[in-house]
Amino acid sequence: MDHTIIFQPSGRRARVPDGTIILDAARKLGVGIEAVCGENMVCGKCRVKIMEGSFPKEGITSSMSHTSHADEKEMKVLKKKETDANIRLACVATVTGDLLVFVPEASRTGQQIVSKAAGTIKVKIKPAVTKVYVELSPPSLEDPYGDLERLEQALEKTHKLKKLTMDYRVLQALPDVLRMGDWKVTVTVWHKKEIIRVEPGWVETNVGLAVDIGTTTVAGYLTDLNTGEVLATESMMNPQVRYGEDVMSRITYCMLNEETGLKELQDTIVEGLNTIAKNAAKKAGISPEDISEMALVGNTAMHHILLGINPEHIGVAPFAPALHKSADVKAERFGIEILPSGNIHVLPIEAGFVGADNMGCLLADTPHKREAMTLLIDIGTNGELVLGNKEKLISCSCATGPALEGAQIAFGIRAAPGAIERIRVDKDTLEPTYQVIGNESWSDGQTNMQARGICGSAIIDAIAEMFKAGIIKKNGQVNMALETPRLRKDDKGLAEYVIAWKHETAIDEDIVVNQKDIRAIQLAKGALYSGCQIMMRKLGIKAFDRLAVAGAFGSHIDKVQAMVMGMYPDCDLDKVIFIGNAAGDGARIALVNVDKRNEANRLATKVEYVELALEEDFNDRFGEAMQFPHMFDKFPHIEHLLPREEAVRA
Amino acid sequence: MATPEKEKELIAALQDAVIHYKVADAKKIAEEAVKAGADAYTMTMEGLAGGMETVSEKFDNHEYFVPETLLCAKALYSALDVLKPHIKTAEGQAKGQVVLGVMQGDVHDLGKNLIKAIFESAGWTVHDLGRDVPIQKFVEEQLRTDSDIVMLSAMMTTSMVGMKKLIPMIKEKNPKVQIMIGGAPISEKTVEEYGADSTADNAPNALREAMEMLEQLRKGMPTG
Repeated sequence: MDHTIIFQPSGRRARVPDGTIILDAARKLGVGIEAVCGENMVCGKCRVKIMEGSFPKEGITSSMSHTSHADEKEMKVLKKKETDANIRLACVATVTGDLLVFVPEASRTGQQIVSKAAGTIKVKIKPAVTKVYVELSPPSLEDPYGDLERLEQALEKTHKLKKLTMDYRVLQALPDVLRMGDWKVTVTVWHKKEIIRVEPGWVETNVGLAVDIGTTTVAGYLTDLNTGEVLATESMMNPQVRYGEDVMSRITYCMLNEETGLKELQDTIVEGLNTIAKNAAKKAGISPEDISEMALVGNTAMHHILLGINPEHIGVAPFAPALHKSADVKAERFGIEILPSGNIHVLPIEAGFVGADNMGCLLADTPHKREAMTLLIDIGTNGELVLGNKEKLISCSCATGPALEGAQIAFGIRAAPGAIERIRVDKDTLEPTYQVIGNESWSDGQTNMQARGICGSAIIDAIAEMFKAGIIKKNGQVNMALETPRLRKDDKGLAEYVIAWKHETAIDEDIVVNQKDIRAIQLAKGALYSGCQIMMRKLGIKAFDRLAVAGAFGSHIDKVQAMVMGMYPDCDLDKVIFIGNAAGDGARIALVNVDKRNEANRLATKVEYVELALEEDFNDRFGEAMQFPHMFDKFPHIEHLLPREEAVRA
Repeated sequence: MATPEKEKELIAALQDAVIHYKVADAKKIAEEAVKAGADAYTMTMEGLAGGMETVSEKFDNHEYFVPETLLCAKALYSALDVLKPHIKTAEGQAKGQVVLGVMQGDVHDLGKNLIKAIFESAGWTVHDLGRDVPIQKFVEEQLRTDSDIVMLSAMMTTSMVGMKKLIPMIKEKNPKVQIMIGGAPISEKTVEEYGADSTADNAPNALREAMEMLEQLRKGMPTG
């Protein structure tokens, strides 16, 4: 009997025979799990977590009872706490039923290349958190005035700071700190309203952390609040991935597990944020407690879950969020380990599916301040679009799905060593050549490139190149009439094109792009393109002046290939600019400048949201946009690259 | 009355218009058929449904995808609108009846609309409840129409969850009714877990499934 096994976060799945060892299944699927001791139950590197429960998105029910029992030797390696948390060693546990297996960061081989690097931002330094130095006169029998009042007096006299409140923890420590500093102290003030820290002596260090919680990746930028300089960047896979790859499945998890689901997901992300704060602080040589504020962006679901707000209602129509405004919550409320009296500033939300992450993009790219008509596309697991200029901005969200990021693609993997990242196909010979991350040279069909799969940027490359070479027809169908050994049908009759032969790979299998992959990409790019089109119709414009593509993955794609495929409307290629992880840049902007926070709140109510699915012509436009590059639209700027147009029936 | 040759010619023309999604042509040919006195029922079943059958085959072997099928459906409706008023009720009697709708909280109706086109072309009566349908509405509509099959569509896992509650509600009122569910997040496992009767991964397969269900129902046998 066969069972389904799915590995997270990679999302790779297979049917395996009863009794298969989890590690063997992982290897077969190209899921890297550390196994240093050679499967001798010694190193314990291959720890994996067996997920418990029903996962409707994956279509399986996973349970600890679906694996073999742990024997004494395995129990010796694992701590009690771990066995309680469903941790098993992949090298011995066997599959006896359907399983969803989460591979923790520490057990994963091949570090992921996360490209959420900080961009350059230009913003006036005006943080919410400031540090001021004061010298107090010590009390005496003639002047036995209280410590707090003494400090208040000094703050008013030296810095014109009046009517400040004080966090109670600061108050508890105040008498000792004042005396320790010999009545010379540095006071950390939040929004000129509250004293959140008092340190002895003169302290210059003033640091905050800007965070972008993506559905897939979380990135943190430790920022010097005096200069705006990024001191350290830390990123990790969003640990919530084990509860589902996309936002909807995580919301569903909360719905199905009413009592505990939300709390579990909240705790998971808090733990992730603590890891980021700790590692970033370590890199910069400070303590996590020196981080006085955190500014945070994320899509609406990530936002609600972090705040512990039930995300159920943003998961179903009419998708109303709990709030639009920005929020400030004390770090200790969630157990976030920065300065306990410090605040978490969460940026405002535009609409149910256009969240604080999109607001981050707006702060970074500032389309609302430009004369030029900007089309901003933020590609993530969900695609968000904004169109307009300083007169008016409209936004929408399109369900692109994770296909453009390489998920739900037969041989799709995330950007990591071994991932194919560039593909070219010769129009005459129909032979491909490709580049693998970590290797400069192009493949020749002979050399073992140690390829493991195809990442997002290469999926777009593959589809565009196959289309240009006539391997894929305009309607997305694989052209089986072409003569090449690379084109064939699998045992289920599904057409596929071989990118890398078995002997070129590290997974002992040909790497192919199949008809299903093409269909998944057609749906994703059709959603983006029709979104652009409907927004342009809404604003009554025929062209735009700038096309800004945001998203960590965005900066890796080839803008020509993306246009050949028809991911966005035709325009002068010079107008297409990649703005990197603009959401994260926006979080940094809000972190270092309070005025920008107000601007964001104003902007959140100004951007008009368009619900695409409600547009009369959405299904038609969506359908048309699924073809390559489009069923009807012309692409004058790249026409020379397109295959000789097939007869288009209008 | 049109001659048998003329009828044959019209049927072939209608099939071609549907298969190659010629929307304007489909309408024109249907009008021509009505004028020539051709039997509207034969035109619908052999011309339109016949053409849609080929479309289903093309979808199955990956030649066609959503865009083409959408256009084919459009061509089909443009002809059906013309032919329908001319179908005599007796022969136009439905093969079966379905209640169809998109789950509450979900506004994605592309898949549902394709299902509707395929079923209508095959001569079924479709009670389309639209999208974002309150769950009670499905129960009521099934009882009102005494439909054989209830078809539920969901594009998002969040809206799919509602099926778990809805299916027993329908079955409780009428244990005989068959329930088919479909949409991106749905698998065979969902069918099992939610107590539905079947699913299909595309519209043509849904029709095949439904035909089978209907046959079983008419035979009075439980379906597996």
